[in-house]
Amino acid sequence: MRDNGTLRLSAFMLAMLLSACNEQPDSGEAGETAFGGPDRPECIAPSAPGGGFDLTCKLAQKGLMELELLPRPMRVTYQPGGIGAVALNAVVAQRSDDDNVIVAFSGGSLLNLAQGKFGRYTEDDVRWVAATGIDYGMLCVRSDSPFRSLADLIDALKQDPASVVFGAGGTVGSQDWMKSAIIAREAGIDYRAMRYVPFEGGGEAQIALLGGHIAAYSGDISEVQGMLEGGRVRVLAVMSDGRLPAPYAAVPTAREQGFDLSWPILRGYYTGPNVGDAEYSWWVQSFDTMMADGRFDQMRHEFGMFPYAKTGTALNEEIKQRMAHYRKLVQDFGLVSDTVALQGQ
Amino acid sequence: MDSFSHLGQGFSVALAPLNLVLAAAGCFTGTVLGLLPGLGPINGVAIFLPLAFALHLPPESALILLASVYMGCEYGGRISAILLNVPGDAGAVMTTVDGYPMAQKGRAGVALSISAVSSFLGAFVATVGIVLFAPILSDWALSFGPAEYFALMVFAIATLGGMLGGKPVKALLGCFIGITLATVGIDSGTGVYRLTFGSIHLSDGIQFIVVVIGLFAISEILVMLEQTNVGQQVVRVSGRLLFNAQEFTSALSTMIRSALMGFGIGILPGAGATIASAIAYTTAKRISDKDGSFGDGDHRGVAAPEAANNASACGSFIPMLTLGVPGSGTTAVMLGALTLYNITPGPLLLETRPEIVWGLIASLFIANVLLLIMNIPMIGLFTRMLRIPNAILVPLIASISFIGVYGIHSSTFDLVLMVLLGVFGYILRKLHFPTGPIILGFVLAQLMEQNLRRALSISDGDPKILFASPLAISLWVLAALVLLAPLVWNLLKRVRGPTPAARDKTRNVPLDGTRD
Amino acid sequence: MKSADGKGAGRMSDRVFAVLWLSVCAVIAFQMFKLKVPFAYEPVGPKAFPLLMAILMALCCLMLLIRPDHQVHWPERPMLMKGAWLVASLLAYAALFSLLGFPVATAAMSLVVARLFGGSWMSSSITAVLIGVLGYLVFDRLLEVSLPLGLLSLDA
Repeated sequence: MRDNGTLRLSAFMLAMLLSACNEQPDSGEAGETAFGGPDRPECIAPSAPGGGFDLTCKLAQKGLMELELLPRPMRVTYQPGGIGAVALNAVVAQRSDDDNVIVAFSGGSLLNLAQGKFGRYTEDDVRWVAATGIDYGMLCVRSDSPFRSLADLIDALKQDPASVVFGAGGTVGSQDWMKSAIIAREAGIDYRAMRYVPFEGGGEAQIALLGGHIAAYSGDISEVQGMLEGGRVRVLAVMSDGRLPAPYAAVPTAREQGFDLSWPILRGYYTGPNVGDAEYSWWVQSFDTMMADGRFDQMRHEFGMFPYAKTGTALNEEIKQRMAHYRKLVQDFGLVSDTVALQGQ
Repeated sequence: MDSFSHLGQGFSVALAPLNLVLAAAGCFTGTVLGLLPGLGPINGVAIFLPLAFALHLPPESALILLASVYMGCEYGGRISAILLNVPGDAGAVMTTVDGYPMAQKGRAGVALSISAVSSFLGAFVATVGIVLFAPILSDWALSFGPAEYFALMVFAIATLGGMLGGKPVKALLGCFIGITLATVGIDSGTGVYRLTFGSIHLSDGIQFIVVVIGLFAISEILVMLEQTNVGQQVVRVSGRLLFNAQEFTSALSTMIRSALMGFGIGILPGAGATIASAIAYTTAKRISDKDGSFGDGDHRGVAAPEAANNASACGSFIPMLTLGVPGSGTTAVMLGALTLYNITPGPLLLETRPEIVWGLIASLFIANVLLLIMNIPMIGLFTRMLRIPNAILVPLIASISFIGVYGIHSSTFDLVLMVLLGVFGYILRKLHFPTGPIILGFVLAQLMEQNLRRALSISDGDPKILFASPLAISLWVLAALVLLAPLVWNLLKRVRGPTPAARDKTRNVPLDGTRD
Repeated sequence: MKSADGKGAGRMSDRVFAVLWLSVCAVIAFQMFKLKVPFAYEPVGPKAFPLLMAILMALCCLMLLIRPDHQVHWPERPMLMKGAWLVASLLAYAALFSLLGFPVATAAMSLVVARLFGGSWMSSSITAVLIGVLGYLVFDRLLEVSLPLGLLSLDA
């Protein structure tokens, strides 16, 4: 009886094995002493599946795989928690020398790092590998909204700070909130006086905008491409330095409307602090090679990101600058978190 | 009608031999992923998307594959719910309530077959709904703002009143415990951390799946150990595999009503299959439970949640297809898959890429039929699972539960938390707390609190917004009706003369994980 | 089951639980009072809901204290020992899951659990090894669920 069960069990598992014939390419292991690439490459998206971090990881997965830079396929795993805090803590504390792992980051991660929301760690505790794309903040309204330009909206805010209901997919202090907050500041309003509704993720906020429950939605430009093309929303301003290419060519920047607002969102990868120099440079070089390839530009475009390429030392400089900028913002808005006590195990 | 010619086109896409094969593979894998607790459509995407790229499948084929995985998961979730009292996915939580008692009485085959048919019916009704009303229904989804969501949650909680049963204090306490568990983690309004006790692992709150697997699977293992040792081996030999005509006709109206309710709720972003199946179950219990057999292994109690959760799963495609906005975690993943194919989801998708939208809708029909055909013969195989001796079955359940939880977030902390919740769940079950209200409290709480607070931030603190729209008002009225109806009913009964026997029977413990 | 005063002892469980849970409510309330909220865009704020729950749960607990409603049959001592073993092995499994790696941790857990459920040493060992190895192959390799290799990754 018992053995019978065991048998049936193994038969069941065997059937499952056979049924979904999904071969693993098992070749390509060079026996050299130099680092020839990771055995089990993995990209950690510090979020639930389906968001920007997921896309960032999938971009690396697709790019490195299709350009044959990785000896084995790369996996994407998810480790949400504290907008990247859990993943960062896990990598620094438990997998600090694991050369298989890269973790996706964004400008939002840096902003949270600046607020001390990542526990005791700072930007010096990981090794920044590459930034492969950039996105820009924007503010949009429904296409039948009375606000036709950013100036309209800012005038209305000046008259009555409570006249515009902002909504976005993040809490107070998050980067989606920050985009609304800097617009309020531009109008000379304390961010506490504006009306702001936080949603669970951009999708819910977009639906609330289309349903007329909120008046303005602040998010990333790539998120609203479909609704913009469908004529459902009007983007009042994109927070980039210059106009973006099609399909956004008609979208005005905040700058050209006379408001000095810029909100780029960097997207890239970091790795553990104790990853060896040889391994770290292997990753940096692989990303360099990938981004030098014209086919990658096409992929990045398909993923809704704009060109940006910095790796290794250049990226580290950039991160330092951005962190200084974010820290100042956090100071200005009085957002220094008292969750600094939050500890990683 | 225009829709039908498009649908014809869609079928010609979906019936292409390659797409049919993909749909069948997707259905099978989906069923397997669905029945494994913790695993679901997201894993399906992880398996098939790289494969789809490698094989250079066109986008519509990839989407068909993913849609059939999704449908398969909805079918699969009920299997472990019925056989093991472990819901395979969130939508199957309510299926355990009557499904498991049926299996314990040797009617596992009947439970599996009637739930397969009601899953089919639910998905079928919903897909027809998509074809006929998709554009109108997207307006329905848009009309729900925070105030309306709050009213809907109040209505949902009012319907749950019917599940309090003979131990109202314990059921209520369970519900509040669930709500409290849901408040752990970052507050999505202000960004402060609540009840995390300084642990970064609790910063995003407790995952739904951790609560479900802990309270159901792990506590079930403890209960099984106790039963094994008392020598209380349950009769698990299953007789009939198929339901009979009488069972089918008695459940038909329940199925159709539940399908419609599930569809309506599924369209709303964020509401989802768990709430749909809970409302369908409690409504079925209110309407059909004349002799108090619900909670004790009534086949209608299995049919209702299954019709509702499959209909809701299909309904959640509407915001995605018509607005290009994800309505649920799973559709967010599918939208991500579209992006990978350089397709921009949005209101124009229907016009610019009709072959994708209609191919997807047609494939929902086809996957549904395939799943029904696949599931009926598999019932015999699945019920045989019950004959696996516990010494093999239990380690298997334990390791699969761990894989399910670990596979989502690779977090050891979640695993420990799951075991602790399992022990807690076992103690609660020993104390005769029903487990259902804990789960429902957990699910409803976040939506209720956040939407109340969102509504108030829209109105700058003015509570009038909660009663401002006709939709909100009708939901409040419905909630009041549901709460008051039993009182009126009892009053009427008392006037007509009491039937104590009947009343005693309705005191049966409903929605109860405890069966000893 | 448990002798003549089983009823009283059983009802005691409800009371013990109620007292314990009252202290949980107190902890929750304390945590909420301690919580510093910079500001919120609405009047309810993040404290109200958990506080309300703490109060409602406390009320329920008081009612349970006054009128405990059910008699509980707790298992006998040998079974409690087995239960403790089961819980301990599951906790160890959870804690060591990524350290030992899935195949090893699972085999160890399966062996203990299979024994607890009355399997012989022989069949339990076979079960344990099969679940550990096949489980890894099926889930990690076939179903693309990332599982840790732990100890076994050294020779990779």
